[in-house]
Amino acid sequence: MEELIREQEQEIGKPLEGIDKYKVVIRNINGWFGTKQALKNINLNVKEKTVAAFIGPSGCGKTTLIRCLNRMHEMTPGARIEGEVLVDGQDIYDRSMDPVIVKRRVGMVFQKPNPFPTMSIFDNVAAGLKLNGIKDKKLISEVVEEGLRGAALWDEVKNELEKPGMSLSGGQQQRLCIARALALQPEVLLMDEPTSALDPIASSKIEELVRVLKEHVTIIIVTHNMQQAARISDSTAFMYLGEMIEYGPTNQIFKNPEKELTERYISGIFG
Amino acid sequence: MARLLDIGLDRVRNLIMDMAILARDSVNAALESYETGTMLRAQIFEYSEKLRVLQLEVADFTTELIARYQPVARDLRFIQSCMDIAYGFSRFGRYAYDIADVLETIGPIPDCDKSRVVDMAKTVKDMITLSVDSLKKLDKDTSKKLYMMDDSVDALYRSYLRLVLAPSKASYSYSEVRCFVSALLILRYLERISDHACYISDCVHYIVTADSSPRR
Repeated sequence: MEELIREQEQEIGKPLEGIDKYKVVIRNINGWFGTKQALKNINLNVKEKTVAAFIGPSGCGKTTLIRCLNRMHEMTPGARIEGEVLVDGQDIYDRSMDPVIVKRRVGMVFQKPNPFPTMSIFDNVAAGLKLNGIKDKKLISEVVEEGLRGAALWDEVKNELEKPGMSLSGGQQQRLCIARALALQPEVLLMDEPTSALDPIASSKIEELVRVLKEHVTIIIVTHNMQQAARISDSTAFMYLGEMIEYGPTNQIFKNPEKELTERYISGIFG
Repeated sequence: MARLLDIGLDRVRNLIMDMAILARDSVNAALESYETGTMLRAQIFEYSEKLRVLQLEVADFTTELIARYQPVARDLRFIQSCMDIAYGFSRFGRYAYDIADVLETIGPIPDCDKSRVVDMAKTVKDMITLSVDSLKKLDKDTSKKLYMMDDSVDALYRSYLRLVLAPSKASYSYSEVRCFVSALLILRYLERISDHACYISDCVHYIVTADSSPRR
């Protein structure tokens, strides 16, 4: 297995051409937790207004990688990264970049819905705006409605915006979190296993939402559900032991992967 | 530990191999009927019906495998190809029955020159064997050889058609008409069987490489 990885590794990490065509460019990313290396020389480009899925077995580095894309990785004690992450050609790790602005441009939705427990539905969506100093109530109301509409939740909650966010169902809570992220009008939305805690109906709503959102936002999703990756993504990256084994159009990855390791994983032969 | 999907794939493989044997037997029986004059329509009809039922079984079961396991990559290509291969084998059965039906309709033709049909039959039987072997061994390279054989089968069929339509043969006797019509129809069915043998090896090529056969 290791020999296979070495062989495949040599083909990955080639120089990236025409990076201006891509919304997100990941260049030579290496990541560590203390002394343990979790990411090994990752290179990957994501086109604007597309969905990229990261798949791979538990512990392969998918979540670590996605957390590098809005500088959340560095918030973990002992964690560090090397390399570049370019959004629209700007390195988000450049000294001149404000991490708060990075997080505004690159929003994130987590595995478990995490609405602010003491806040209403309205305030959950408005929270980011208020934290960014926006006080215009009319503007905030408009943005909240837009966010909730964007997350396909408006029709379900428009008459109960003052109810606690926690009173919603799990699926609604996750869409509320998406609305909260959308309220800051991110250019890129990171989703870390956004449906793993949801039932199939709620999951399919999120999947439908992803298809709609990609008309405006570039989406990068981590998922353990390969069928979900196959359904909603335009490109898929397979990771294993911190390495990017294969990245390509989803159609090709699931019909005819180039790497034997990818084929074995998606076919359920290991993982 | 075997994947649950593997159990299903084994079952599909077995069904396809059962079809391969039946398909080969049905074509052999039809050609034997032509060569020896033994009327085997009922038996060949039975083969053909079994093949049709097996084709439906493959279609149902492969659809179930897709619904249950959502296979990808080579597994998916194998399942998709098995549907096409099952159809190919069912056509072998149908053409074998068509041959038997022609023979029964035309009646005994012991005095006809059967050499052309026998020659083509030998090539087509070899093609069936090759296509089944390519499936067993998942040999992607057989398709090239089969397409060359298919070219020779096509050429034989066309040359016989030209011979039958030649101006020098403007007036045929009744017995000659029966010889020509039976031979021409059987050559046509053999030509179609030859095409399906090629399609089966195309499927094998697709399973192994994920590319269509170069000829296609």
